[in-house]
Amino acid sequence: MTSENQPIAAMDSLLQASKVNIIPNQEYLLQGSILDVQVQRLLHRLKGLCDNVETAPEQFHDYEACFSLRNIADEQAIHTAPLLLRVRRSNDPADSHMPWQLRYVGNPELGDTKRPTLVRSCFDISCSPSIMEFLTEMGCRLEFEYTVRGYLFRKGRMKITVSKIFRPMNQEPLSGSYLVELSLLAPVGADAVAEDMRVFAEKLKPLVILEKIDHRRIAPN
Amino acid sequence: MQREEKQLEMFLDNSLSKLKDLKIAIGQMIQKIEFEHETINWPTFLDNFALISSHLAGLSKMLSLEYTPPIRNLTVLPLNLSPDVDERLVQATEGRLPIFAAEIVPDYLRTKPDPSAENRMNLHEAKANAITNEAASKQVAQFNKIVSHVFDLISKSRDEWEMESLHRNVRTETCNQGDTQTLVKAIALGIGLKTNSPMMMQQPRGVPGQVPVQMGSPGIQPMQLGKMPSSIKTNIKSAQLHPYR
Repeated sequence: MTSENQPIAAMDSLLQASKVNIIPNQEYLLQGSILDVQVQRLLHRLKGLCDNVETAPEQFHDYEACFSLRNIADEQAIHTAPLLLRVRRSNDPADSHMPWQLRYVGNPELGDTKRPTLVRSCFDISCSPSIMEFLTEMGCRLEFEYTVRGYLFRKGRMKITVSKIFRPMNQEPLSGSYLVELSLLAPVGADAVAEDMRVFAEKLKPLVILEKIDHRRIAPN
Repeated sequence: MQREEKQLEMFLDNSLSKLKDLKIAIGQMIQKIEFEHETINWPTFLDNFALISSHLAGLSKMLSLEYTPPIRNLTVLPLNLSPDVDERLVQATEGRLPIFAAEIVPDYLRTKPDPSAENRMNLHEAKANAITNEAASKQVAQFNKIVSHVFDLISKSRDEWEMESLHRNVRTETCNQGDTQTLVKAIALGIGLKTNSPMMMQQPRGVPGQVPVQMGSPGIQPMQLGKMPSSIKTNIKSAQLHPYR
């Protein structure tokens, strides 16, 4: 995903924040989906609701690979969830100068039934293309990979993506729906933003039902 | 004699209060129609109507009671007719009747229906009696047939409308919970994306990616894959080996 269109002011405040050790490392997330045939209606509505009116919708085409790191020495650890690291890069030749992105996403926080969104820790690091080799050398194993193609919208600090997930081998879509994600990165304790997200998600109903989905709960095992 | 007079007086008082209630109910109804005719709905209208009819029913019940003095036997006599405005009369009738003159007395003191109305009623009654039982039942059957036909038409249209609205509801479905789960599971845990996971399990853990080949990188040629150690040869045969697996 490109970040070159990020407003300068946002960039400045980000640098300022990192200077005083305020790091936006919490991801607030809501997820939903929309059927392929209805996606134009959603894009139209988002165009009206979001900030980047003149450029919207910004398109992206990314590749993501997910690596796992297991502690082989510990027998018990095999049965617990492995540490997952995600590598993402743009498939768009125009973005070939952009760095790759390494992302760590933590487990969703427990005991937050009252909170309107899912909250999890999240770290993004820019890196060079050799990250794939590096991770492999470190003993990470490629778990799965996919390509994602879709549209990106911004509303204040919120990021809204409407994207289609493809299997990388045959570029076959995974389902007949677009994945819709509403996310926001904020420092620890900025829980007020979750309320803004809930209000925004409310505006997309009933077109899309954005919910907090605990990945562990829907896992088959 | 005195007892009868007392009874009559009591009865008149009762009737007056009942009539007053009736008058108020009718007044309210008229007011509703005058001022709220745009917003009034059928249920409230019928409620008002039921109020009036209950007052009327109460009145007629009282008249039919046994101990009611036979007011039919009493006579009302117009004692004073005058073409001038009578202030007391205006007050007593709340401004509805200013003059008690010869031309309006028959209307106000009438105890039988208007002769023309009575004639028409008699005509209808005669007509109703003239019809034979057979003809009447035939007409009833015919009427029932028409009504059931109309009922069929209406219920058919209703079914059509319901189908249409149902269809519209189906069309407005824009998201699928199952798809959401599939997509979220896929990007979070890779479920549905791992097509060759059993093979991955066989891969020896200690020697990950002996020859890392960067995708699309011009420097390293995939030809080097040929020099793989024998331990993972089976993997190369079974599928196109991923550079990072």
